[in-house]
Amino acid sequence: MARRAAALALVTALGCTQGAADEPTPTPTPTPSQDAGGAVTADVPVLRPRTVQEIPGHESIAQDTAPKEAPRLVPVEALMRSYMTLFGGLSPLQLQTRLRGSGGNLFDTWNDYLSALGVPDYAADIPRNEQTNALMLAAFERIGVALCDRAVESDLAAMPPTQKVVFRFDLPANRAVTDAEFATRFDVLHRLFFGYPASLAPPERLPRFRQLLRDAAARRATQPANAPGFNATRASWAVVCYAFVRHPEFHLY
Amino acid sequence: MSDIRNERRTFLKVLGAATAAGVSSQPLFSALADPPVAPDEFFVFIHASGGWDVTVGLDPRNEARGIIDPASTQWVDTAVLRNWRDATLDADYETFEILQPRGTNLRFGPAVGNLLNIADRVTVINGLAMNTVSHPDGTFFVSTGRHLAGGRPAGASIDTVMANESGRAQLFPSVSVSYPSAYVGNELDPRSAPLKMASIDSVSRVLTRANVNTQAADRNAVTMMLTQEARDLLARSYHPEVIEQFVLQYESLPRMVREDFLGLFQTAGLQTAQPNFNYRARFQSRGAVNAAFAVEAMKRNVVRCVSFSMGSLDTHGANYRTQPLVQQELFDVVAQLVASLDAAPHPTLRNERLSAHTHILVVSDFCRTPQINMTGGRDHYPNGSALVISPKFRGGFSFGSSDPDQLLPRVAGRFADGMRAVAPPDVLATFVNAFGVNPRKYLRDGDVVRELLRA
Repeated sequence: MARRAAALALVTALGCTQGAADEPTPTPTPTPSQDAGGAVTADVPVLRPRTVQEIPGHESIAQDTAPKEAPRLVPVEALMRSYMTLFGGLSPLQLQTRLRGSGGNLFDTWNDYLSALGVPDYAADIPRNEQTNALMLAAFERIGVALCDRAVESDLAAMPPTQKVVFRFDLPANRAVTDAEFATRFDVLHRLFFGYPASLAPPERLPRFRQLLRDAAARRATQPANAPGFNATRASWAVVCYAFVRHPEFHLY
Repeated sequence: MSDIRNERRTFLKVLGAATAAGVSSQPLFSALADPPVAPDEFFVFIHASGGWDVTVGLDPRNEARGIIDPASTQWVDTAVLRNWRDATLDADYETFEILQPRGTNLRFGPAVGNLLNIADRVTVINGLAMNTVSHPDGTFFVSTGRHLAGGRPAGASIDTVMANESGRAQLFPSVSVSYPSAYVGNELDPRSAPLKMASIDSVSRVLTRANVNTQAADRNAVTMMLTQEARDLLARSYHPEVIEQFVLQYESLPRMVREDFLGLFQTAGLQTAQPNFNYRARFQSRGAVNAAFAVEAMKRNVVRCVSFSMGSLDTHGANYRTQPLVQQELFDVVAQLVASLDAAPHPTLRNERLSAHTHILVVSDFCRTPQINMTGGRDHYPNGSALVISPKFRGGFSFGSSDPDQLLPRVAGRFADGMRAVAPPDVLATFVNAFGVNPRKYLRDGDVVRELLRA
């Protein structure tokens, strides 16, 4: 009896050990870093660009790096899924309700934009539009403005960066961000929308976005917003968001 | 020493020439290098979607001959047809009298509506060898001159071709409302990519801007910055065509979202501006809106080509009863389009009317069977007709024919590849050639039919 109990204990112990080994290692909650402007959450690991030759076994293998195909337009279904994922993980109707908000004519319904976005309509023999046109870019702008404005309204309110959806950082109170502070926050948005760090982007991109933010803030200083809650800071970060969500890199792969 | 210098000079010359050739071979630069043809001409392309019954319209039959069952009071609603004149078919039913406009060789059925009033300006091509009874295939065959390859268009459609040749500088080179437009080929400038939409109205919502939280200046600043970003990507790109399109489209966007264009894309505004179209038509009310848009957009000189579809022609069953009415409404829209163009001044040429510089091509997937089927309808048939209204084409003229017993295309004459029937590529080749464009630049097949063109 004692032997059986010992064997049972052993099996139980082994089982528990095995189970523990199968469990995934818990991912630590991202800890916001700090700078003078406040907390910044970047939950994507820092990447260092590596060449293929650095991968073991690839040191002497010849690589043909010539692109074999032109960039392609992200399918509209994937684009809409991206909108839903990046701007809060909502369903299409939930997102539509949020974008319409309590007024302001920022958004109509998804149905109003589907043909401009290139969604095929097989009932009417309208094929998928696989190339951009000016109307499609106008639709990107219309939708992008609604997405970013609503994100600014929620994210730039007082809440911890970890609970924010797009602007996962704090902004300094009562002053504009410095160049260094902007770079850190730009990197957060760059990773979110383009999926890679800003350090790997063309070098002129960061100063361009920086200038965009400055100019938007300056315009708002001379021309107050129609919406009272949208101050210069909010308007300028909304403009930066527009640029990300309408960027060619966001729409091509 | 001088030999070395000469060699170096020769080398530099060759290098320079090669660089220039390479640069100019890029679509954008080659497009900029070529002056547009027909810079003051406008184009309207209409696709009669579903396959029209030519026996009541452009290639009429009123005799029960061979396998042909002519339309009769047994099968169609005749009370709504303004041009229906009874003619005896048999003891029980009446068929129609064929209309033969004076001074032309045209023969019309009762479904041509008000087209009859402008018959002297109409060119009809009958007996088109469609070689297909598939809607998608026929649809793109008449617009591109090529059958589908693997289900995809194999060539550029006629609206894209004309936009590429003459519309690159326009704000909207080609507006395509449910038309079978295709942007395929290396010769095309990205600006000529058709602006495809399901309906004119759908555009107004896309172009509406709220100006609540941010202003037009903010959005335009973003657009300018993105243009720079796209230019940088273009410079780095191994395949520049896609990015090139982004650059050009970003550049046109601020002009496009101007508020004064919103009315152009709203049904109510178009109905007010062009009140003579029949917007209450049973089948073609949307076609009327599209035609009104064409007139208004051309008057403002913001488009080069407007193309749209007019449907409800796919009548396999009892719905064949309305086929002549559908066609009558379709041809009424075309006739009113011409009348509206007659009344509109040309936007860039003084003392000229728009109609003198607007060219209209109407085609369909194919035609319908000569027999009435078991359910009282007509199915798909590999014959076709086309209609052209253009100052470049001979008016009041019909070319080609179909077999009197079977309604199949008949030999129309000698072409480069021998005696055969006329086919859609021939119509398209003739159309582009009328404006001095070499058809072989865009079309693999098709001969220019000189008889169709004015001397």
